[in-house]
Amino acid sequence: MSRSDKYVGIDEDMFGGMTTIGKAVRDARVFQLIPEDETCKGWNIQGIDALLDKVNAEWDKYGCLVSHLPKELFERHQRIYGEAVEKAKKLGWDGEYETYSDQ
Amino acid sequence: MAKVYDAGVKEYRETYWMPEYTPKDTDLLACFKVTPQDGVPREEVAAAVAAESSTGTWTTVWTDLLTDLDYYKGRAYAIEDVPGDDTCFYAFIAYPIDLFEEGSVVNVLTSLVGNVFGFKALRALRLEDIRFPVAYVMTCNGPPQGIHVERDIMNKYGRPMLGCTIKPKLGLSAKNYGRACYEGLRGGLDFTKDDENVNSQPFMRWKHRFDFVMEAIHKAEAETGERKGHYLNVTAPTSDEMMRRAEYAKEIGAPIIMHDYLTGGLSANTQLAQWCQDNGMLLHIHRAMHAVLDRNPHHGIHFRVLTKVLRLSGGDHLHSGTVVGKLEGDREATLGWIDIMRDSYVKEDRSRGIFFDQDWGSMPGVIPVASGGIHVWHMPALVNIFGDDSVLQFGGGTLGHPWGNAAGAAANRVAVEACVEARNMGRELEKEGKDILTTAAKNSPELAAAMETWKEIKFEFDTVDKLDVSHK
Repeated sequence: MSRSDKYVGIDEDMFGGMTTIGKAVRDARVFQLIPEDETCKGWNIQGIDALLDKVNAEWDKYGCLVSHLPKELFERHQRIYGEAVEKAKKLGWDGEYETYSDQ
Repeated sequence: MAKVYDAGVKEYRETYWMPEYTPKDTDLLACFKVTPQDGVPREEVAAAVAAESSTGTWTTVWTDLLTDLDYYKGRAYAIEDVPGDDTCFYAFIAYPIDLFEEGSVVNVLTSLVGNVFGFKALRALRLEDIRFPVAYVMTCNGPPQGIHVERDIMNKYGRPMLGCTIKPKLGLSAKNYGRACYEGLRGGLDFTKDDENVNSQPFMRWKHRFDFVMEAIHKAEAETGERKGHYLNVTAPTSDEMMRRAEYAKEIGAPIIMHDYLTGGLSANTQLAQWCQDNGMLLHIHRAMHAVLDRNPHHGIHFRVLTKVLRLSGGDHLHSGTVVGKLEGDREATLGWIDIMRDSYVKEDRSRGIFFDQDWGSMPGVIPVASGGIHVWHMPALVNIFGDDSVLQFGGGTLGHPWGNAAGAAANRVAVEACVEARNMGRELEKEGKDILTTAAKNSPELAAAMETWKEIKFEFDTVDKLDVSHK
């Protein structure tokens, strides 16, 4: 049986979405490209890729840096990411996990 | 009772054990750690290693009569105990320079770590160090550009450079791979890097990757006003194909390419390094397979030898280990081969595992790359240990930032600049590191988040390849 080409949704993704796609979904919420309750569950890869393009275009306006975001966006980013990191930590995520594949 | 090993029909020590010999300045000197079979006298086995790595044969054959054996033979001139280990000893051997082809580390290794490593009189053998005479050093091409020229090419001065390996787990396509490079470079990195496993697989062919990465570099350069680079991995199944990829990298304006010098091979590496020198390109060297050769403390080739071999073969960067972090190596030994990479003259220093003085003549240095298992909290120690002429490469420590690649890069850039500034003002980095980073983070939410992400991490693995004095 082939693997599903549908995204599991940010809530079911690893550590609540501490992945490349999870970050894209979260960024899309920050930039209000999708509603904050949209998990992208069931989206196919083309849909995720198109969302990523839109997210990238938004980040390009601010040099990709959170510290360059205007106040409103910055505060929304802090809230959304703060909640996500707190949830991820409860699920066992930490920085060490991110260096496992270092050589 | 242990079986006494019969070394052969002719005792090597009659010809190759010469304790009265004073090595010449032009001799190539080697130190082997020898673990003999039971019952073989030390002098005999040291002489056997000298013979089998130079002109020796089991019996005198007719060719000995055609060459001047007394000139060309290797000479075992000293033996020493290994601190803390009575199963083995150090054998010091001198080889006449004419035994080796000029400019060929391939030829040197074929002799020194060739058939002798399978010799039956030995249980194990490790090449610990080589003294290359400066007369031989100057026949080698060496690093394509060297540290000072690289700084001019990249326009980076007065601080360590920052890098990050882009992992294929990020995924997806060459386009998204290029985007990850852009974000890292835009966030403040100087270099991004192909993972060593990324060559030209079906999921991402090399040319496609090169194009997207160069687009990322141009975009990041335009927005930051800084010179940026990505180590485009040109390691390939054949040296012809490797050169084809290198030529294309140059054609599209890449400042730096990358090669795996052990798996790719030293002939290919030397060829590529010479081409880089001729074409104004920088060469980043990865060291996949080194642990196969250097990890066993009794058998193989020590990394300090592999370091010298690379400097002679040619490379501008070489992965060195980190000293701190998850993948830390023995601190003193690592500092020893960092000196071997960069300095023009390295004194014998047994406390760092360096057995010989090494004069590099006018050969440029290689920049050590500290890579793997490190993050912003290691920055004060890394700046202190490695100094400015280094690349500090944070993989997970960049891409693992919860806010994304650019945030991870920005955190590391702010941290390194804060540490350099503090050092330049006379502050003690390792003692005051927390204060230095905390102050810097007040103006960088990216750094503050990184410090929050990694602050609880402790790495407590023991190192395997310690200096011999630690192997008790």
